[in-house]
Amino acid sequence: MNDRVIPWQPTVIAGPKQALLVTPETAKLMLQKSKRPLFVVGPYAKNEPIKTYVKDIANDWDLPIVTTSDTYKVFEENGISSDYYGIIEIINLLKDPNWKGIKGEGQHDFVMFIGCIYYIASQGLSTLKHFAPHLKTLTICKYFHSNADASFPNMKDEEWHDFLENMKIK
Amino acid sequence: MTLTPNSIKPEDLKDDFWKSKDIKISFGEILFEDEKDDFEDIKMGPTPKPSSTDLRSWDMKLLERYEPFYAPFCDMCCLCTFGKCDLTGKKGACGISIEAQQGRFTLLTCCIGSAAHSGHARHLLEYLIHKVGVTHPIDFGNNIDIEAPIIRTLIGKKPKTLGDLREAMSYMEEQNLHLLSACHTGQEGNHLDFESKALHAGLMDNIGKEIGDIAQIAALDLPKGDADLPLVELGVGVVDRDKPVILCIGHNVAPGSGIVDYLEDNDMEGEVELCGICCASIDITRYDHRAKVVGPISKQLKFLRAGVADVIVVDEQCIRCDVLEEAKKTDTAVIATTDKMCLGLPDRTNDSADEIVADILSKKIDGALILSPEKVGEVATKLAIPLSSRRANLKILPDMDEIQKEASKCTKCEWCVRVCPNSIKIMDAVSAAGSGDFQMCEKLYDYSICYTCGRCEQECPEDIKIISLMAKIGENNLNKYKYNVRVGRGPVQDVEVRRVGAPIVLGDIPGVIAFVGCTNFPEGSKDVAIMAEEFLKRNYIVVTTGCGAMSIGEYKDEEGKTLYEKYGGEFDARGLVNMGSCLSNAHIPGVAIKIANIFAKKPLEGNFEEIADYILNRVGACGMAWGPYSQKAAAIASGVNRWGIPVVLGPHGSKYRRLYLGRSDKEETWKLNDMRTGKVIQGEPAPEHLLYAAENREEATVFLAKLCLRPTDNNKGRQIKLNNYIDLHKKYFSNIPKDIYKFVRSEKDIPITYKKEVKAILEQNNWEPRELAMEPSILDFSGNK
Repeated sequence: MNDRVIPWQPTVIAGPKQALLVTPETAKLMLQKSKRPLFVVGPYAKNEPIKTYVKDIANDWDLPIVTTSDTYKVFEENGISSDYYGIIEIINLLKDPNWKGIKGEGQHDFVMFIGCIYYIASQGLSTLKHFAPHLKTLTICKYFHSNADASFPNMKDEEWHDFLENMKIK
Repeated sequence: MTLTPNSIKPEDLKDDFWKSKDIKISFGEILFEDEKDDFEDIKMGPTPKPSSTDLRSWDMKLLERYEPFYAPFCDMCCLCTFGKCDLTGKKGACGISIEAQQGRFTLLTCCIGSAAHSGHARHLLEYLIHKVGVTHPIDFGNNIDIEAPIIRTLIGKKPKTLGDLREAMSYMEEQNLHLLSACHTGQEGNHLDFESKALHAGLMDNIGKEIGDIAQIAALDLPKGDADLPLVELGVGVVDRDKPVILCIGHNVAPGSGIVDYLEDNDMEGEVELCGICCASIDITRYDHRAKVVGPISKQLKFLRAGVADVIVVDEQCIRCDVLEEAKKTDTAVIATTDKMCLGLPDRTNDSADEIVADILSKKIDGALILSPEKVGEVATKLAIPLSSRRANLKILPDMDEIQKEASKCTKCEWCVRVCPNSIKIMDAVSAAGSGDFQMCEKLYDYSICYTCGRCEQECPEDIKIISLMAKIGENNLNKYKYNVRVGRGPVQDVEVRRVGAPIVLGDIPGVIAFVGCTNFPEGSKDVAIMAEEFLKRNYIVVTTGCGAMSIGEYKDEEGKTLYEKYGGEFDARGLVNMGSCLSNAHIPGVAIKIANIFAKKPLEGNFEEIADYILNRVGACGMAWGPYSQKAAAIASGVNRWGIPVVLGPHGSKYRRLYLGRSDKEETWKLNDMRTGKVIQGEPAPEHLLYAAENREEATVFLAKLCLRPTDNNKGRQIKLNNYIDLHKKYFSNIPKDIYKFVRSEKDIPITYKKEVKAILEQNNWEPRELAMEPSILDFSGNK
């Protein structure tokens, strides 16, 4: 089996439904198609160069950012605007089709994740897989997330950074 | 005298009764005169010995406010031969949905956890009755009148003797049976009803633990709520390796107490080193302060691998299944002591101690199953002494050159990192060790950042003995790993409850935080101690048990002091209260129940819902299980949740598949009934969640402060609590929490330090003052009884 699409922590395999392996090109098509996207950013994105990639991707695609755990503080100090939610809290809100979204404009139809702790993100993606048919999920971490609808593969840093660089170009 | 339910009543007897043969007559419970007086004085509430359906309406009120949040760990069900069934957007062959399946799994998890504690309690109770007699009194002295608050509430009686505990035990066993049966295919189908049963299983776990702990306190004369108990030695570095070493692993104190008794009876206390891992060690130190605590479960594999122990005595729960295999590697003898874990060993309970010792020493057998704690004491001691000299060369791990040579085989495939539960940088540490640099390994050893589950070693294609490497690193720094922990005190005294009841209910003491549970920590045990100290400094009461209590002791400040050396053990502001083992967890809801009874005069007997409603709305207590891994931890959390106490879990807690989350944006779910005025008023999200998993320590700390808010806080108390919430939010998130306006009922609630900033947020959110509920309740809304 292709090592790139075995979940990074192999035992998170939950069942027959697996994420679609995507390149930045396909990921960008998904972003283009979405009407109300959201960018969820976890604590592994507090450090460089990921922080700057997140900032640039969010700016270029005009994505609202939700930061989880204590990521908000570092982003705030670096002039990156975001809303704070616990990862469990935001997942709980995203699964409710009647939630109004972080801007109060309506539920999101597309959620892109980066930098969350792998196993808790995997659990959250499982929740959305089962209970949020109204939205699609994409992970752009350097780890393959089988519970997402679409995911980047397992990669080394260099390739991952190239992928993220590519994500900036609309 | 009462007749048993299925017996024949006198009027049922036919005329030919006197010709009958082989008549069996059974007696029910016999009440003596003095007991009758007690019962006549008690006004029994609506739910004595409640079944799960008796408390279902309470559960549904909780679940309406705190809806189950499911994160399936597995998309499939493989419990019956219809399956496997994929439940992704589909129902299973039996008709079960993914939601109901999560509820079912939660119930199953809680049943397992509850059965583990309850089976333990049953063993202990019958052993102790055998040892000290059925009429042995349960008397904790003048300072504790309510020895068993959970039993009193659920059974409706005060147990006065060990024998009295059997009634509660039988009730709980019957309930556990019904609950487990509901997990069978084709039984329950609704996820909320599964949850209601899971909460009931948690409650049964609570009563099982209470039975176990008060039985051992009474029969073994363990501490009875004393605050000023000595510190005992803790850490892998405190074990005297020059002496014969007996290591107890597990949770049941009986075999350990048998060893203590044998050593004392034979004047050998100074000759043999008795130590333990996990809760057995905590309880042995409650029995004999000279025993030593190696540490929580995170120390198990590396300590086994180090070969320090000459004899390992295992009892029940949280013991590695491969303990015998590991012991054989270092010629360590193993004694199994309960029916829960026999390890394939021959049952030698009825043989003489000398015969068993001879057979083990001659390697005729690898170890023995001995179901008599007294005999365990004799055999373990008689084995340890000769084995200690015979094994002297096996207590030494390979030297550093060998370790380096082994580590140099690392090909950097990275699979050790991928299978690590926390994805810690094992590969970098091992490959650095291969080059002679052991610093990274040392860092992982400190605070058990690597808790040596051994998955990396199992996966390594080069078969590098990574755990032996970690164990060796520890050996090189033994002096670093010497700590202490205060002896577990058991329950909180009634007199302490009288002193702190009002400050807790009104908010002057901002909260009670309970650090419990296992060591499945993402960043090491330091996190637990840092969180505990954060709240101690802020005048919270911190209580702790089991592995949580040990983890707190494994951290020293710059001056080399542990938190137990810096904070006293009284149940008061800035008190660090080690209650004991995980059985002693029962005293945590126990003290909340006592506040309702002693401070607020709420009757306990048969009165679960009113007590739980009181705790939910008025007692600012919150549990913290930073590293829960076990089914017991799931049952513990569900039990306290049903009493109305919220719990924050570490990130691995998300793998329990279910949390209970409130929605602060859904105002209708926060309505309160003011029992004093009879009016329904708009409440607040306090506490906001019942069971929450935090992604890291910083988030968990902020949530703990928030989840101590209660509707009964007076203005001063609310100011204190909000001040802590804001302080911690600013510390970890750099700003005032955006939801602060939801917890301000009038301007008098605003902390003076943050008045300007909070007022600005109130204005942004069109805030208006709210009515305060004098006696808030979620019971008895009109038309909702």
